[in-house]
Amino acid sequence: MQFPQTLSRPLAQRVAGLGVPSPIAPVAMKDAPAPAIASHVIEAAVDALARGETHYTDRPGIPELRAWVAQHLAQRYSVQVGPAEVTITCGSTEARFVALTLLAEAGSALLCPGDAARIRGAAHILGADIVDSVQDNVSLLYLSPDVYRETSVELLQQAQDRGWWIVYDLSFAQTAPPFHPAQNQKLADRVVTINSLSPELAGWRLGWMAGSAAALRLRAAKQAITICSTAVSQWAGLAYLKAKPS
Amino acid sequence: MSLDNPKIPEAVRAATADGTQLRYTLMEMARDMPDVITLGRGDPDLPTPPHIVEAANRAMRAGRVGLTDVQGMPPLREAIAAHLCEHNGLPVAAKNVMVTTGGQEGLFLAIQALIDPGDEILVPDPRYTSYDDAIKRAGGKMVMVPTRREEAFNLEAAAVEAAITPASKALLIVTPSNPTAGIVTEDRLRAIADVCIRHNLIVIVDEIYSKIVYAPYQHFSIGSLPGMAERTITLDAFSKAYAMTGWRCGYVAAPENVIDAMARIKAVTTGPVATVSQWAGLAAITGPQDCVSDYLRIYTQRRAVLLDGLDRMGFAYGEPRGALFVWADSSSTGMHATELSYLLLKEGRVLIFPGAAFGENWREYVRITLLEPIETLRAAVERMLPVLERYRA
Repeated sequence: MQFPQTLSRPLAQRVAGLGVPSPIAPVAMKDAPAPAIASHVIEAAVDALARGETHYTDRPGIPELRAWVAQHLAQRYSVQVGPAEVTITCGSTEARFVALTLLAEAGSALLCPGDAARIRGAAHILGADIVDSVQDNVSLLYLSPDVYRETSVELLQQAQDRGWWIVYDLSFAQTAPPFHPAQNQKLADRVVTINSLSPELAGWRLGWMAGSAAALRLRAAKQAITICSTAVSQWAGLAYLKAKPS
Repeated sequence: MSLDNPKIPEAVRAATADGTQLRYTLMEMARDMPDVITLGRGDPDLPTPPHIVEAANRAMRAGRVGLTDVQGMPPLREAIAAHLCEHNGLPVAAKNVMVTTGGQEGLFLAIQALIDPGDEILVPDPRYTSYDDAIKRAGGKMVMVPTRREEAFNLEAAAVEAAITPASKALLIVTPSNPTAGIVTEDRLRAIADVCIRHNLIVIVDEIYSKIVYAPYQHFSIGSLPGMAERTITLDAFSKAYAMTGWRCGYVAAPENVIDAMARIKAVTTGPVATVSQWAGLAAITGPQDCVSDYLRIYTQRRAVLLDGLDRMGFAYGEPRGALFVWADSSSTGMHATELSYLLLKEGRVLIFPGAAFGENWREYVRITLLEPIETLRAAVERMLPVLERYRA
């Protein structure tokens, strides 16, 4: 059964720019546990279900997990973000998609000095270009710790001067410098930090986005896609993060 | 009717133009008040059935919680396809099914895959306004199709056809409906299918309440009709029938090339559904279904209690034939329903949603859920009656 092409411009053409192959490579679901998850995480999830944590959570996520994120940003980076400015997402994928498509403008460019593979899909859906050098139509700077180097100082100055949004993506980072763009108070209102609990809890689909003057709009945009993130995953994630060395 | 009452906080007044925001504003106000009976959000108060929780526990303890295919676990996709074939008459296989992060994501992905800027999508009025954002994001334009209380909000083919223009691309059907609790009956769906085929429309049908239909009515899937499967995207979720809102697990059935497109979009928007939720979903759809009929029996009893209360309040309503709400005409109070809802919350400690949360034309309606035990529903009615007495024009 195929969808008649007369109903739509060809679907294949529509999704060709997403950077996602067709067919999507299947994930081999193994019977063996992979990756191994600490027993206290599993028991926290089992306990949550026993308590009846099977309903929608607060739209931005359970307060305890949001508080952990706020505290983490303060302790690790000296960045002040209130729990109300934190939204728990379905992996960093959702955080990245929501932040990029809400903050950047269609027809503009996303400045990405590093690997752009992770933002290609969001840029395609938004209708934005990805560039690796400063251009007049840039509306958002996408940075990760791995690409932070001396040239980033100049880019951040440009962001401040031109009013770009900044998405600082901590997920999958191989390096962990203490630097954070929101440490500059003049930029803080325009910086969204995103992160994930992968790869350790990849199958639980947990991530977060925090900060910026757009925090409440980001929350609403997430709600419009998935309402809230999986309740039992949030409780498992909280147990995982609380036991993790900072 | 207006919102001139100075008692109404600016936050509520400002949110009235945005249905979703209005609902969340009221929910957040209610959360900060003691002893509120919440008949607002469509979140079943009943527990997820034990056999489903146990299946999730077993999967977690066995470590079977790694990442899955973005389309969902193959055994779950197969089980959903088999269920849809057997119970809904849809001619689908696993390749026509994708698991989604709740029903709402299914709608989001369908719209992103199919709607181009300028396309019109026909939407029955009133509507679940949380879908607005997805349509706006894609550059689509909503065109309202009126439904009527006298018809129990049963969608009419003639009304659909009257709303069609050269820009019409798709029809959104929600049956049973949120917020009206009406269903689109089989005879109407057959006539609507004929219209859709003649005008070459896509049908996106949200069937998330399909297992919550009150006798003597029955759910019918438009995708089962000849010539419709290839133009229909069917959305459903475990959230309502199995009391699984927090698990965020739903599904879409559609032609294979639509599933392929939606999966590729899902890969860059949210990724796969949480694996533990998929195991729970598998237990729900393959396990004993007594829980569904037991819960339906409970909702049926609650519905009778609430309708009796509405009669006492002097509220008219179309027969609620499905879902977990009553959509009631509050015009006899003489108040804007947003004002009424605020006063009922503030002075009666009962949270209900005003009609403006479901469309601009519904300022004399309220949506009340069945999602509290019978005694609590009775208490809610007793709380609301004196407030109505005090303010009724």
